[in-house]
Amino acid sequence: MDATIVTDLFREFTPIAPMLIMLLGALAMPAVALGPKRRYSVSAAALVVIIASAAVNVILLLADYTGTYAGLFEYDAFAGLMILLFHTVVALVALVSSSSTETTKLHFGVFNALLLAATMGMMFVATANDLITIFVGVELASITSYILAAMKRNDPRASEAAVKYVIVGGLSTALTVYGLSMLYGVAGTTNIEEIAVALSTQGFTWAFGIALVTMIAGYGFKIAAVPFHMWAPDVYEGASSPVSAFLATGSKKLGIVVFFKIFLILFVTGTAVASFATEEVQYVFAIIAALTMTVGNVVAIAQNNIKRMLAYSSIAQAGYILIVLAVMSEYALTGGLFHMFTHVFMKGGAFLVVGALICAGVGEKISDYRGLGKRAPFMAFAMLLFLFSLAGIPPLAGFTSKLILFSATIFDGNGVMTQWIWLAFVAILNSAISLYYYARVVKAMYVEKGDAEKIKVPKAFTVAIAICVLFTIVLGVYPQLILDFCSSAAATLFG
Amino acid sequence: MIPIEAFLIFAAILFAIGAYGVLVKSNTIVVLMCIELMLNAANINFIVFSAFTTDVVGQVFVIMTITVAAAEVAVGIAILLNAYKTKGTIEADGLASMRW
Repeated sequence: MDATIVTDLFREFTPIAPMLIMLLGALAMPAVALGPKRRYSVSAAALVVIIASAAVNVILLLADYTGTYAGLFEYDAFAGLMILLFHTVVALVALVSSSSTETTKLHFGVFNALLLAATMGMMFVATANDLITIFVGVELASITSYILAAMKRNDPRASEAAVKYVIVGGLSTALTVYGLSMLYGVAGTTNIEEIAVALSTQGFTWAFGIALVTMIAGYGFKIAAVPFHMWAPDVYEGASSPVSAFLATGSKKLGIVVFFKIFLILFVTGTAVASFATEEVQYVFAIIAALTMTVGNVVAIAQNNIKRMLAYSSIAQAGYILIVLAVMSEYALTGGLFHMFTHVFMKGGAFLVVGALICAGVGEKISDYRGLGKRAPFMAFAMLLFLFSLAGIPPLAGFTSKLILFSATIFDGNGVMTQWIWLAFVAILNSAISLYYYARVVKAMYVEKGDAEKIKVPKAFTVAIAICVLFTIVLGVYPQLILDFCSSAAATLFG
Repeated sequence: MIPIEAFLIFAAILFAIGAYGVLVKSNTIVVLMCIELMLNAANINFIVFSAFTTDVVGQVFVIMTITVAAAEVAVGIAILLNAYKTKGTIEADGLASMRW
C-alpha cells in the first residue's frame, strides 16, 4: 500500500501526523461540548477524531513508512503498532463513556479532551527516540490521567484514589527525571541511540547504576510493577469504570513501551561489551517480573471487589510482559507485543462489563454477580470469555499470546533452551493460580442463584463488549492478524 | 573552579531530603512540596552536566521539567481541594479507606 495520500497532506510532519489530528481534536473538544447538550454527540465527535487519526496511522503502518521529525520523533513499524494499540484503547473508552452513569455529566467535553490528550501523550512516547520527548509524553499522559481519575466527583473513593495517584505519580516523575539526568550526564546526549553507543564504549559506571535504579523504580510505578504497585488497585477501584479500563490497558502499556524503548535499545546495543553488566540487569528484570506476577495473582485471590480483583490481575499481566525485558530476545518481544494487544481486549472488555453492570445497578462485589448468567446472558458470557482468556484457556486470545511469550522464554529463536526456564515455570504456575479466582467469578455468575430480574445495559456498552469478544476469539484462532506486525515491530527495535 | 562532584553531591542531598519528606510527612501538601524538591535536584543535575559539557540540551530539558512540574502541582492542588471537599481532610491518615 502507498502512503502518498498522507505524505502529500502532511509533508515533513508525516511522522507525527496521527498525533497532530489528536491534538486538534483535543483542543476542539471543550468547544464541541458547548454546542449540543447531549453527551453522545460529543462522544461521536471524539470518535470521529480517533478514527481519522487511526486511519492515517493504519495507512502509514501498512505502507511500511519510516521517517523522523526534528530528530525527536521516529515513526517505524514499532511506533505504528503501538499507536494502533493506543487508538484501540481510546476508541473503546470513548465509545462507552457517554452512556456510563459514572462519568461526568457537567464537564463531558473536558473529559473527552483529556482522553484524547492522554492518548496523544502515549502516541508521542511510542514515536519518541529522545529522552526529552519520552519524558514529556509520559507526563502528558500521566497528568491528564490524574484528572480523569478524579473526575468522578462527589465520590469519596474517587477523590482518595486521585490523591494517591497524583502523589505516587509525582514521586515516580521525580525518580525518573533524576535517573534521566544521570543518564544525560553519563552519555552527554539525550538521543537514545547515541546514549546506547556512548554507553557501549565506556561500559558500566556508578552513575549509570544510579540512573538504572531510579529509572526502573520510576517507570516501575507507571506499570505498577511490584514493589511499586500499591497505588494501582486503589486507583482502578476508585475511578469510574471506563477510566479504569483506560488506565489498566492504556497507561500501563505506556510504561511498558518506555521500558522497551529505553532498556531494550540500551542493552541490545550494550551487549557487545563484556564490562556492560547486561546479564545482571536481566536478572533484576526477571526477579521483578516473577515478583510482579506472583504478588498480583496471590493477592487477587483475597479480593471481594471485582474491580480490585481485576486490578491485581492486571498487575500480574504486566509481570508476564516484563518477561520480555529479562529474556531480551526478538522472539520474546514479538510475544510480549502480541500479549499487550490481547490484554487490551481481555482486560478492557472485563472492565467494560463491570462498568456496564454498574450502570444497570449491579454492585462491584463478586457476590453481586450471583445468577448473572440468567439475568444478563450476554454480559455473563462475555465476562466468562474475558476471564478464561486472561487465565489462558485455549482457543482464546490470551492462550495464544501466553503460548508465544512463554515458549520464547524457554527456547530462543533457534530452538536452544535458555536460562529462563524457571521464569516460564513461575509464569505458568501463576496462570494456574489465576484460574482459581477467575473461576470464582464464573461460579458466582453461573452456578450460584441470585435475583431473577433481567438486567438491561446501555447499547454502547454492548457494542464495545461485542467488539472485545470478537477480537478475543479472532486473535485466539487467527493470531496472524496482529502477529505479523508484532514480529516486524520487534525486528525494528532489535535491528 | 568548583569540581562537578560538589554540585552532584548537593543535588543528591536535596533529592534525599525530598524522598525522606515524601516518605514521612502526613500532610499531602508538604508531600507535594517534597516532590518539587526531588524534581529540583534533578534540574540541578541537568544544569551542572550542561554547564560542564557546554551542551545546551540539558538546559532545554530543565525548562521542560519546570513546565511539567508546574502543571503537576496545579493538578495536584486541585485534586487535594476536591479531596478536602468530599472527605474533609487532606492528611494521609484520613485518606486510607482503601487498603489491600
